Amino acid sequence: MNKKVVTGVVGNDIHVVANRLIDISLQARGFEVFNLGVNTYLEEFIDAVVETDADVLLISSLNGEAEGWCRELQFLRAEYELKDVIFMIGGNLSVGEAANIEEIVPKYKSYGFDLVFHQVDLNIGLDTLEEFIGHKS
Amino acid sequence: MSLHQKERDIIVQNQYIDNFDFDEVEDFIKNASKDLFISHKFKNSNTTLVQPRGGFPTYQKQFELYEEFEKADIDVMPLTIDSHTRLNDYGSAKKMLMLSEENETDMLNGYPLVNHGYATTRKMITHFNRPVSLRHGTPDARLLIETALASGIFEIEGGPITYLLPYSKNFPLDKAFLYWKYVERVCANYSGLNEPINRESFGPLTATLVPPCVTIVIQLLEMLLSLEEGVKSFSVSFSQTGSVNQDAVMANVIREMADFYAKKIGVEDATINLVYHQWMGAFPRNKEFSDSLINTSSFIASLVRADKIIIKTRDEAFGIPTMQCNAQSVANTKYTFQMLKGLPTITDEEEEANLTEEIHSIMEAVFNDSADTLWRKVFNSIKNGIIDVPFSPHIINHNAVVTIRDEHSNIRVIERGNMPISDKCLAYEKSKVKLSKDKTAVINKIIEDIGVMHE
Repeated sequence: MNKKVVTGVVGNDIHVVANRLIDISLQARGFEVFNLGVNTYLEEFIDAVVETDADVLLISSLNGEAEGWCRELQFLRAEYELKDVIFMIGGNLSVGEAANIEEIVPKYKSYGFDLVFHQVDLNIGLDTLEEFIGHKS
Repeated sequence: MSLHQKERDIIVQNQYIDNFDFDEVEDFIKNASKDLFISHKFKNSNTTLVQPRGGFPTYQKQFELYEEFEKADIDVMPLTIDSHTRLNDYGSAKKMLMLSEENETDMLNGYPLVNHGYATTRKMITHFNRPVSLRHGTPDARLLIETALASGIFEIEGGPITYLLPYSKNFPLDKAFLYWKYVERVCANYSGLNEPINRESFGPLTATLVPPCVTIVIQLLEMLLSLEEGVKSFSVSFSQTGSVNQDAVMANVIREMADFYAKKIGVEDATINLVYHQWMGAFPRNKEFSDSLINTSSFIASLVRADKIIIKTRDEAFGIPTMQCNAQSVANTKYTFQMLKGLPTITDEEEEANLTEEIHSIMEAVFNDSADTLWRKVFNSIKNGIIDVPFSPHIINHNAVVTIRDEHSNIRVIERGNMPISDKCLAYEKSKVKLSKDKTAVINKIIEDIGVMHE
């Protein structure tokens, strides 16, 4: 069975090109993809994960507003009992020049993400995801 | 009173505008200077007209921008509308306009035309007495277009498909068709009073590897939807593909197809113009390279005998250009055009035949849809993926068509999705590209192809 991934761009962010590239890259790697597209809110992601019984939630953000949207993730994750779902976020995760780049990854991990990629090449991110899935199963 | 006029009366009852006097507006258009009509300028010009982009929040700054453009002997002035107005949020536009006036910093990315109103804006337009083109991106542009026409702006860009699929995730497409139908009717009704109002479609779409057949089909359909309502002057457009040969092929085919399909619906008295957009993808950050890209675009516009070119500036990668930079770009393009007269035409029979066949196949599928009106047929065709725009953010778009560049940078279809092009045409497209068997390598190539103009 192919692993299922829900993906999309969080918040008022309309960077569609990266979103489409993530979609086709995941498909090329054999994932079943549910792409919610740009301009997606956190609640919509969680609904889609529940509805599709997804294995992975991959949120992307390009304009850096993800932080404002993802603070509630821990809470939602507990409420819907999604502890087996892999939560991943990538893209440009801070608005403007971040004061301290080393703090970005731990900060997002504290919000409940298993995998965090700030300004990392898409294929490196997806290679890491596949490794992570391999270790889990 | 007709239903259409009733709708007009309702549209102009809006707390953000003053009284709208339709009789006075009709009188103004009837007696307006011919120089304000781009349709008149097209008729009396044998060179490619030059038009930049540009819109500032305050009347004062917009006036100064036009003064700079006038010094560069501009052919067509732009009026770019701010993003709040595009979403019909006149309240926010008003607040940001006030802040811009008080602080001398621009709090809007364009001119909030509805808030300024037609009485004020008309003073500026008639003062400069050159054709003005309205650039926006609005799905419901009814009030905006009433205000523009009343101001003396006699070219309206946009359309239900081209202003929706590249810009919106979930504005209902069927509503967009009906709102644009209103716009076409208003433009058509004013077209009998003086010179015709020109409508222009927005061919660049997402400007991301859109295959020529998709661009041209959408241009033709917006043209037909407009002519159907009685518009008599229409511009089809496309943007630089990245391949000079493909641009030439597109120009030849779109001209021929526009005539063919206009006649097919029984319209023989409309003027169809061709507009060429300089590169609409991501620009290089090196300004000297930008200059080179812009000059090459201008050359292509001359080569394909475009009736108008819409230009960029060397600051494109860095945001909204200064007035001086923008005006300099107008002057440069006009300078370049002086040495590009009487170029031989390029034709490529094999490529043109293939593109023409693809277009006819898609158009036939649209016309064969069982719906009773053209806009419903087009709506259904987008919904079921017969028309599919690569990299559209809209939820209705299928995203099944995949394209890539061949070794000469031509955009080629490698996955057709539900787009009804024949096996033969698809085989022709695919024969031009050597695809890697490794899917990830193909995707990396697509990423490179999108950013083809980066240094």
